[in-house]
Amino acid sequence: MKRKLKIYLPFVNAGMQEVATYRVNWIFFMLGEALSCFVTYFIWAAVYSSGDKESMNGFTMPQMIVYIVLMFLTGTIIASDGAYVVGEEIRDGSIIMRMIKPVSYNATFLFQELGNKLPTEIAIAAPMIITVEVIRTMISGVLQFNALSLILYLFSCALAYLISFYFNICFGFTAFVIKYLWGANMMKNVVVGFLSGAVVPLSFLPGVLEKVFLFLPFASLNYTPVMIYMGKYTGAQLLYYIGLQVFWVLFFFGLSKLLWRISVKRLSSQGG
Amino acid sequence: MITVDKLRKEFKKTVKEPGLKGSVKSLFKPKSEKVVAVRDISFSVEEGEILGFIGPNGAGKSTVIKMLTGILTPTAGSCTINGKNPTQNRQSYVKEIGVVFGQRTQLWWDLPLRETYGVLKEIYEVPEDSYNRRMAFLNEVLELEEFIASPVRTLSLGQRMRADIAASLLHSPKVLFLDEPTIGLDVVVKDNIRKAIEYINRHEKTTVILTTHDLADIEQLSKRIVMIDKGTKVFDGSIAGLKTQYGQIRELTFETGVANAAAVLEYAKHFSLGEEDVSVETEGNVVKVRFNSAAVPVSDILSYTLNKVSVSDISVKDADIEEIIRRLYGQGAV
Repeated sequence: MKRKLKIYLPFVNAGMQEVATYRVNWIFFMLGEALSCFVTYFIWAAVYSSGDKESMNGFTMPQMIVYIVLMFLTGTIIASDGAYVVGEEIRDGSIIMRMIKPVSYNATFLFQELGNKLPTEIAIAAPMIITVEVIRTMISGVLQFNALSLILYLFSCALAYLISFYFNICFGFTAFVIKYLWGANMMKNVVVGFLSGAVVPLSFLPGVLEKVFLFLPFASLNYTPVMIYMGKYTGAQLLYYIGLQVFWVLFFFGLSKLLWRISVKRLSSQGG
Repeated sequence: MITVDKLRKEFKKTVKEPGLKGSVKSLFKPKSEKVVAVRDISFSVEEGEILGFIGPNGAGKSTVIKMLTGILTPTAGSCTINGKNPTQNRQSYVKEIGVVFGQRTQLWWDLPLRETYGVLKEIYEVPEDSYNRRMAFLNEVLELEEFIASPVRTLSLGQRMRADIAASLLHSPKVLFLDEPTIGLDVVVKDNIRKAIEYINRHEKTTVILTTHDLADIEQLSKRIVMIDKGTKVFDGSIAGLKTQYGQIRELTFETGVANAAAVLEYAKHFSLGEEDVSVETEGNVVKVRFNSAAVPVSDILSYTLNKVSVSDISVKDADIEEIIRRLYGQGAV
C-alpha cells in the first residue's frame, strides 16, 4: 500500500503543476461556474416570490439559497473529467503511452485528477462554507454551524467523487465502441445534472420518481452530501445513504476494471 | 530473447461508401470487413542484437511492435520476450522493456522535462543512487542538460526525441523498442540519435528492435533486417544477404556530350535484358544506368558504353540498400 502510494503520488504532484500552468483558464472556469450559480439563484427567487407559500417541498427560500450554494460547491468537488480524457486518449490513440508503463491505467488518471482538483477545492471550499454559514446565520439569527456535519459532508463528498470518477471512466471506455464521445458526453452531463438534483432538489419530484432517483447512483453524487450538510439526513437514514454511496463506489470500481479488461482486447489503436 | 511465432492480427474495419449518401447508409447499416494487418509472422531475436524492421507504409510494422509491447492482443500466434508473454500480466512485463513511438511522446507535456523523469523514477522504482548514475549516463549520451528544465511543449522535435529515448532507458530495460525514432529529424540529429542507440546497445547489451523508413538508420545500426510487406514477412537476414539475394545491383554513372545517349545505347536491347535488370535515367548530361551484374558483367557494360559514346566522367558503384528496397517494393512481391 505504501509502495503503491509512492508510485502514484508523483501523479498528484504533476497534476497540480499542470493546473498551475493554465491559471487563467482555471480562473475563467471558476467564474463561469459562479455565474451559473447566480442564474440558478435568480430563477428560484422568482419561483418563491410568485408563490404564496413560505416553504416548498420542505425547502424555504433561505434553505434554497443554501442548497444552491452547496450544490455549486459539491458539484465542483466531485466533478470528474474522466469520460472526456479517456475518450480523447482512445480517439487519438495516446492511450498506448499509458499502457507501456507498469501502472494501473485507472489509478494514474485518478491521482492525476486529484492533483488537478486539489488546488481548486482548497481555494473555493473555505470561502463557500463561510458564505453558507453567513447566509444561514443572517436569516435565522443563530449560528447554525455544526462541525460534525461538515466532517460528514466532506467524507460523503470524497465517496461521491470516487463514484463520479469511476462512473466517468466507465463512460469513457464506451469510446472504444462509439469512437468519439463529445455528443454522448453532453447528453450524459444533462441527464446526470437532472438525476443528481443539481437542477431541482429531488424532493420536488413526485413520490415514486423521487424514491427511484434517490436509489440511483446519481443522487449519491451531489444530493446526498448536500442533504447531509443541511442536516436533512440523520441517524439510520444517514447511515443508509452513506452505505448506498459505498455500494456505488464499489460497483463502478468493479465495472471499470471489467470494462478495461474487455476494452483492451478490442483496442485497434487509431492513428498509427 | 525474443521469439515470435506465427503472429497474426486481424481488424474489423467499417467500410463507408463514398459521399453523403454512403455516410447515411452506413449510419443505419454499417458494413464491416476483416482486414489482416499481420499475417502469420515468425522470427526470433538474440540478446544484444539490433534488429531492423522495415517495410512500406501500412505494411504492419507498427502493429507488430504494438503486439510485442503488449498493447494489442494478437488474433492468433504467440510472442515470447524474455520468457514472458506481453499481453498476460502487462504491468510486470512492461517493467523490462523500453518503448519509443516516434510520433507520440511519453513525456509530460506541460511540465519541465525533469519532472517526467522524477515520475518515471517512482513508477519503475529506481533507487535514488542508481537513478542519479543513470541520469548522468543518459545526459552524457543524449545531451539533455541544456533543456532539462524546460517544459516539454517548448522542446524542438530533436530534443523531444532525445528526451523520449532517455525516458525509455531510465530503468535500464533489457529490450528497447523504437518505432520510427528518427522520423522528421534533420541529418545531424539523426546521426546523434543513431550513435546513442549504438552506444547503449554496445555497453549494456540491450536488445533493440527498430522500425524505420530511413534506411540509413538500418545500414548504420543493424546487422540484420526483417522486411515485411502487406503483413507478410518477405525477407529475414543480413544486409549483405539482402544484397546478394536480390540482385547484384550496380549503378553506372557517366557524363557525356551525346544528346539522347540512352536512346543510342539501348542497353536492354543490346544485352537482351528484362525491365527488372536494367533501368536508365538521364539528367542533363549525366546518365545513370542501374543494372543487375549477375545478368550482365560490369566489364561488358563498361566497354560497350565506352565504345558507343564519348564519356567524360564515369563511375560504377554498389547500389545501396535503398535501391534494392525500391526494387522490392516496386515489384510488390518477391
